[in-house]
Amino acid sequence: MSRLLDQPRYKCALSAMQTVHSITRAIPILHSGPGCATKLNDTSGTSGYFSPNIFPCTSVSEKEVVFGGNDKLRDTVANALKIIDADLFVILTGCTSELIGDDIAKVASEFKDAPKPVLFANTPGFKGNNYVGHDWILKAIFEQYLPTLPAQKKQKGLVNLFVGQPVQDPYWLGNLREIESLLRQIGLTPNTIFGHGRGVKNIDLLPAAEYNILVSPWVGLESARYLADTYGAPLLHYPVVPIGAFETTKFLRAVGVFTGADKKRTEAVIKENEDEYYYFIERFADTFLEMRIMSKRFVTVSDAEYSLAVTKFFVNDLGMFPMTQFITDDTPKQYRPLIEKEFSELNYGIKAEVEFITEGRAIHDKIRKTDFAGIPMIVGTSWEHDVANEIYAHHINISYPLIKLVMNSHLTGYSGGLKLIEDMYSIASAKLLL
Amino acid sequence: MAKLRQIAIYGKGGIGKSTTTQNLTAGLSEIGKNILVVGCDPKADSTRLLLGGLHQKTVLDTIRDSIQGAVTLENLIKLGFNGIRCVESGGPEPGVGCAGRGIITSIDMLESLGAYTEDLDYVFYDVLGDVVCGGFAMPIREGKAKEIYIVASGEMMALYAANNICKGIQKYASRGEVRLGGLICNSRNVDNENELLRAFATELNTRVISFVPRNNIVQHAELNRKTVIQYAPASPQADVYRDLARAIDGNTEFTIPTPIGADRLEELMLKYGMMDIADNYKI
Repeated sequence: MSRLLDQPRYKCALSAMQTVHSITRAIPILHSGPGCATKLNDTSGTSGYFSPNIFPCTSVSEKEVVFGGNDKLRDTVANALKIIDADLFVILTGCTSELIGDDIAKVASEFKDAPKPVLFANTPGFKGNNYVGHDWILKAIFEQYLPTLPAQKKQKGLVNLFVGQPVQDPYWLGNLREIESLLRQIGLTPNTIFGHGRGVKNIDLLPAAEYNILVSPWVGLESARYLADTYGAPLLHYPVVPIGAFETTKFLRAVGVFTGADKKRTEAVIKENEDEYYYFIERFADTFLEMRIMSKRFVTVSDAEYSLAVTKFFVNDLGMFPMTQFITDDTPKQYRPLIEKEFSELNYGIKAEVEFITEGRAIHDKIRKTDFAGIPMIVGTSWEHDVANEIYAHHINISYPLIKLVMNSHLTGYSGGLKLIEDMYSIASAKLLL
Repeated sequence: MAKLRQIAIYGKGGIGKSTTTQNLTAGLSEIGKNILVVGCDPKADSTRLLLGGLHQKTVLDTIRDSIQGAVTLENLIKLGFNGIRCVESGGPEPGVGCAGRGIITSIDMLESLGAYTEDLDYVFYDVLGDVVCGGFAMPIREGKAKEIYIVASGEMMALYAANNICKGIQKYASRGEVRLGGLICNSRNVDNENELLRAFATELNTRVISFVPRNNIVQHAELNRKTVIQYAPASPQADVYRDLARAIDGNTEFTIPTPIGADRLEELMLKYGMMDIADNYKI
């Protein structure tokens, strides 16, 4: 288990209900104490279809604790099926129902003939955070729902695509759409299950894909491997979420080789995008040169996804130098060597030190002691706001918790890199105000 | 009025806690004590001998049926042999829910309903065999019962369970008033049982307060839904339970136990259980 004294940067496994409600018209049914859904959702954006404040919930009380909550769950599922117009229901467990050991698999199985699928996933908060919870939920959906579908033929060029984690990653949907768009440009047909216009019809398509692509250092890897192995479609696990020209080009070439996409077309797409990207860079080249208070060295305090992605972008595209990078998502130990390896493979022979750490105060103490050779750049959560003020750093709030609103903007791809540059220079410019 | 003594009886499952508790409370009632027996076992059979049959309404039944508002002590407390008040905590079906939480809920409810009246001399908690989770430690954890007696025999697993229970008592004793009053040996006719139990008790920093010999009259009384004191009041076995009742009533030796390691427990078993005795498997 993680060591976490204050400043949490993730939530409990049940919070991965975000993964369910990010599948449009999918509804989580919580077998938990009252208030879990409201508390876990806070302001990070809802499904757009059904508010977490009114997600069906067994609101487990002392009676259910003592005598078991299966009866209450059965009633709750039956009533949810009656009154909620949805395409898919997923029962999720909270701490209480897991402690008393309610048999939710049995309750879910009683609804196998219901008009809409009723699945289940065990998501007790004491067992892990919402990063691992996301994987458990996807695997549950793949394991329980996909076998109920009729057999399908593979569709040429169809690629299942998973990028980052819904909601916990504030830019998740914009990022997903941007990568989708890039894959489409090189001639592939991306299949994604999250967000507007997607949903159960896209889940139905998962077994028909020729390839699976997961763009994430580790989150979602177990479920993606399961999907790939079960339906015989190879998985490209690409650990670096690409931000900016260098990484995006590298990503597109890797995808091209993996899927056998038309090389000429891929290179043409890369050229067109890079030309436009550098056009924008050149338009503001003077600004970049003259901004004397821009940082030379930076630190990230974020999950593996953004720590790695931002470090690659800052070093490879912007020529900045990495100090120790802090990864705060309680990355499971088996995935750490792969992530450390990526941090050691930066351009110009640069290697970044990485520390897997979840304790906020300890991170800030280390940042205070770091020599940034100028104004520091801190990319992380809202928790870094105070330490940034204290050491007069530029602070970009990129990951949860967030003190800004992110709707559809994105950081991935060529345009995502430009967006992050906008943020960097906007924040630096604000320091020039008299 | 004498100060209320709250006593919890622990021990391995099947060792005879309920039988012992009911017989010893019957003995206490004969010397004029007012007693409440709280059965803390989901099976709700801890007061069967005192009541002449199973208690029909457990505390937790009232929560299951959602009739808390209408619950009265009269429904929950049945009068048994010699006016002994009997209440059963009850609990969930086997394999569902949390029986440990049930014990907590049930004792809280008894308190709020005012079951612990001033005229009581004793409250006995007859707790399910192994203290598997915090809920079953409730009677000692929250300072309800301050005296513990452990029922044990000379069998390895009974001693193992007793030792484990002592670990729990030791933990709670360090921050509260709970103390061990002694071991009650419910004999299984194991070789050198008395000596073994006494040596074990010494190691635990306690004593054997009573040795209850094995006697089939106990089974006969149980089949007739009675304590031995009620079924065969003139029998020597009834006197054994009366002696136990008096020993507990007069007990002033309360200790913080010193549980031992598994290796030491096995050494004791070998020393006393196997000493100079040829293999004899006759039962």
